[in-house]
Amino acid sequence: MFILEKLAQYARTGRTAIVYGDDSLSFAALERRSNAFARYLLDTLADDRTPVMIYGHKELSIPACMFGCLKSGRGYVPVDTTFPPERVRQIAAQVQPKLVIDLAGAGVGAPVVLDADALEAVLAAPAEPVARENWVLPAQTAYILFTSGSTGTPKGVQITAGNIAAFREGVAPWFDLDVDGGRFLNEISYSFDVSVCALYDALSRGMTLYTVDKTTLGDTKKLFAALRASDVDVWVSTPSLAEICVQSEQFTNALLPHVKRFVFCGEVLTKKLAAQMMERFPGVPILNAYGPTEATVLVTAAEMTRDMLQSDRPTPIGYAFSNVTARIVSESGEALPDGEAGELLLLGESVSPGYFGRPDLNAKSFFIDEKTGLRGYHTGDLCYRLDGLIYYCGRLDSQVKLNGFRVELEDVENNLARVENIARAAVLPVMTDGKVTSLTAFILLQSPDGLSALKRGQKIRAALSGVLPSYMVPRKFVALDAFPLNTNGKVDKKSLAALL
Amino acid sequence: MLENIIEILNEITGADEGEIQPDTELFAEGVLDSFGLVQLLVALEEQGAALDAAELDRDAISTPEKIAALAEQAR
Repeated sequence: MFILEKLAQYARTGRTAIVYGDDSLSFAALERRSNAFARYLLDTLADDRTPVMIYGHKELSIPACMFGCLKSGRGYVPVDTTFPPERVRQIAAQVQPKLVIDLAGAGVGAPVVLDADALEAVLAAPAEPVARENWVLPAQTAYILFTSGSTGTPKGVQITAGNIAAFREGVAPWFDLDVDGGRFLNEISYSFDVSVCALYDALSRGMTLYTVDKTTLGDTKKLFAALRASDVDVWVSTPSLAEICVQSEQFTNALLPHVKRFVFCGEVLTKKLAAQMMERFPGVPILNAYGPTEATVLVTAAEMTRDMLQSDRPTPIGYAFSNVTARIVSESGEALPDGEAGELLLLGESVSPGYFGRPDLNAKSFFIDEKTGLRGYHTGDLCYRLDGLIYYCGRLDSQVKLNGFRVELEDVENNLARVENIARAAVLPVMTDGKVTSLTAFILLQSPDGLSALKRGQKIRAALSGVLPSYMVPRKFVALDAFPLNTNGKVDKKSLAALL
Repeated sequence: MLENIIEILNEITGADEGEIQPDTELFAEGVLDSFGLVQLLVALEEQGAALDAAELDRDAISTPEKIAALAEQAR
């Protein structure tokens, strides 16, 4: 695997791989520690290739574990601490891991569980590089990312080493900068696949990852102090993070004097934000990029131009990467001419082999194209294409993107319905400038609770926080006496939307 | 200004009138998160009281009355 070869190469230099607060990790240490972990896995698990679960946040030990897994021929399942222990256990029930790294006390049962101290002892052990024959093969799983599933339990997207290689090849022209080394913003949680840009692309270019954790992201003063110290060359984030930043006039090229590129992905980039970014960072390319986890991180990108912002169209999500075939088709599967909106299908080497242990979902979402033999994925995204540029118009189902995170509204609704005294729930996205900014839950109570709106909201929020990642918990809870129903007897979300 | 801020917060959080008090601890009580805070800052900016996000300590903006004091200065 390219990244593993590059780690060994940069380990012979004095370069720093990752900075996190006052701590840092050199490429040499990352190489050594990932070798130690690979050796430990080979000794402990022998031929069992079940992926290793990693529960934590942005700890410096995590990338060493990930690369150690790959060197030992097995994949990993990164689960960020935004997932509460209950959700982590649901994931573990599917994966059945033999080994869990638990840096945050999820209490997952497995034959081997390493806490931070036990892991440190493993990583610090002296170890020779493991033989390449042990490394993961292109067709083998490198990681599984669990994302919101409409039934209320998460589903795992399997990504192979070959998928990652295809992603790197496709994205290369967009990340190819004329810098030797440089610094790359590392603020995206490891259970969100955009972090793959930092781990697999930036590190393989010998760049240093500058880590910003969720505590810092949640406090704007700390965030700005961190950004000032970061001096990053490349910024990859959700538009939501930049929207927080533009709330300060200090967010200009004086704060980040060496920044050479902004890449936005994970949700809609509004024209307003793109224009603000161009104004604050004159001459720095602002890229909008797009990709579902199932097709490995990103599959389209384009640099935003003044013409695009002045046009009546939404901001384009970009041109398909050279190794990705993007097709826009009608409901009956016919290719649509330019300008007509239909479902976006993605075909190519970066398309996942499927969801972990879910043949039912795989049959619906993935396919093999008869003509080309390419593997394809139904994105569920409604798009159209003009002059090669693809434009996103919305979803064909009830999935939304909130602050870059994928949320199935039914997932939230199903979990809400399990909360005490809630008879029924309907969750709606709140939109601002064409982008989802929060979720509002309408609920029917089983019996009156005598609580004020805020108190009831706090109570439900506390219950939901035990089962859902924090980003899936609605901001507002509105109790109704009855739900408006449509002619089919289903909850009429259009009428509810009028109440937002 | 204080009433105005409470009104914006009621809108953002769905709180009933009178629930958010001048001394309500917004973050500690889970009323507001960082994305909600951004909505509040945008609303204040539209009313001519722009607060610099880079200078906002969590402690300095933990209650509506503290935010109101800062917003008064910014006007």
